[in-house]
Amino acid sequence: MDDLFDSSLNLEDTHYKEGYDEGHSDGLVAGKEEGRQVGLKVGFEIGEELGFYRGCVDIWNSALRLDPTCFSPRAKTIIGQMEELIEKYPLMDPENVQVQEIMDSLRLKFKMVCSSLHVKLEYSGYPKSSTEANDIQF
Amino acid sequence: MELKEIQRLEGHTDRVWSLDWNPATGHDGIPLVFASCSGDKTVRIWEQNLSSGLWACKAVLEETHTRTVRSCAWSPSGKILATGSFDATTAIWENVGGDFECVSTLEGHENEVKSVCWNASGTLLATCSRDKSVWIWEVLPGNEFECVSVLQGHAQDVKMVKWHPTEDILFSCSYDNNIKVWADEGDSDDWQCVQTLGEPNNGHTSTVWALSFNASGDKMVSCSDDLTVKVWGTENTEIQSGGGFAPWRHLCTLTGYHDRTIFSVHWSREGIFASGAADDAIRLFVDDNESQVDGPLYKLLLKKEKAHDMEVNFVQWSPGEKPLLASASDDGTIKVWELIS
Repeated sequence: MDDLFDSSLNLEDTHYKEGYDEGHSDGLVAGKEEGRQVGLKVGFEIGEELGFYRGCVDIWNSALRLDPTCFSPRAKTIIGQMEELIEKYPLMDPENVQVQEIMDSLRLKFKMVCSSLHVKLEYSGYPKSSTEANDIQF
Repeated sequence: MELKEIQRLEGHTDRVWSLDWNPATGHDGIPLVFASCSGDKTVRIWEQNLSSGLWACKAVLEETHTRTVRSCAWSPSGKILATGSFDATTAIWENVGGDFECVSTLEGHENEVKSVCWNASGTLLATCSRDKSVWIWEVLPGNEFECVSVLQGHAQDVKMVKWHPTEDILFSCSYDNNIKVWADEGDSDDWQCVQTLGEPNNGHTSTVWALSFNASGDKMVSCSDDLTVKVWGTENTEIQSGGGFAPWRHLCTLTGYHDRTIFSVHWSREGIFASGAADDAIRLFVDDNESQVDGPLYKLLLKKEKAHDMEVNFVQWSPGEKPLLASASDDGTIKVWELIS
């Protein structure tokens, strides 16, 4: 037989479940929107950085077509490697484990080409390893 | 045995970080020369007067580096000097008719350059930085330098780079407590880390500040913030055909001699190694022929207390028949010492 006080005893449980369901559905909406914003931001940054390197590589290749000796053999090789990396970058597959590795390699090769060409180019969104750390150095 | 002070050299207006004896001096009647670098952003060239035996400042290399000059190294021919600075650049200086001219500037590191070193043949220059990377540069005709490889593997600030005295094998030590060994395996420009000497191999437990090799190149000594000096050895120093590499292994640890950070260590051709530490003292160690099995293979020869008024940043033995020791300190001075028995 039903307990007379059943409904009031379960009051806490009922409210907990209602609250959970409400929070869950609101969280879904908020989380989706937040994820969208993060994805938009990160996707934009990566696209911008890749585009920056693509632009540099295209110009360097154009210069090389006009004068194949304008850069050192070593610089030419690295420019070619950068081109391969840009083409290999899995733009549509952000969860690919290679993503970070390819980007790190591109950044490094970019620095090497700049050093070889004696130019100071810097991608403005480039993340510094440590900006304005401490002034005291040993 | 006594370490006798020959001369105390003043000139730098800030702490002296490092110095390097010119390897082409000190024999055939050529007076001993060394370069020193400082927090005052300058490099000074010191030359011995053969009649008085004392050193005088021959040149001040300034207005090139915009921050502390942390490291300097003569090429094996003694004709070119490389200097690494906290301004993120490495400068190349050439002696043109007695005047030193900056003939090239190597840019690539993101921030402070901590150490520079030439390989035995003078064809490669290594630099390392707080940006955790080590760069290898090739010397091309016309004072051109091109980056051959960027070595990434250290997790922190790289404190020193040192080439093996005969082979093209590079050693680096870091704030990440590790010593890394790098070699060009097979294809050219393919430099890889071939060994890491760290805590699991009886390595250091804190920042490794410096490295030095013995004359034959089969032993290496390292010093650290962990207050120990460690000696390492290898069976075969040559790179094997087919890319094989004889690994380095821990031989012994010298504990209990230092109670402050050891910043510098340098092995003389006669087998004596010197250490410079934060306790302002210089210590000399030699082979211990009477050592027990498994005991330390080296013993303290002497300790020079208060060698400087402040921390000793660097020690190095000179070339020439009778090696002298030079030391650089936070007190802004350089001292030249003679070991008298």
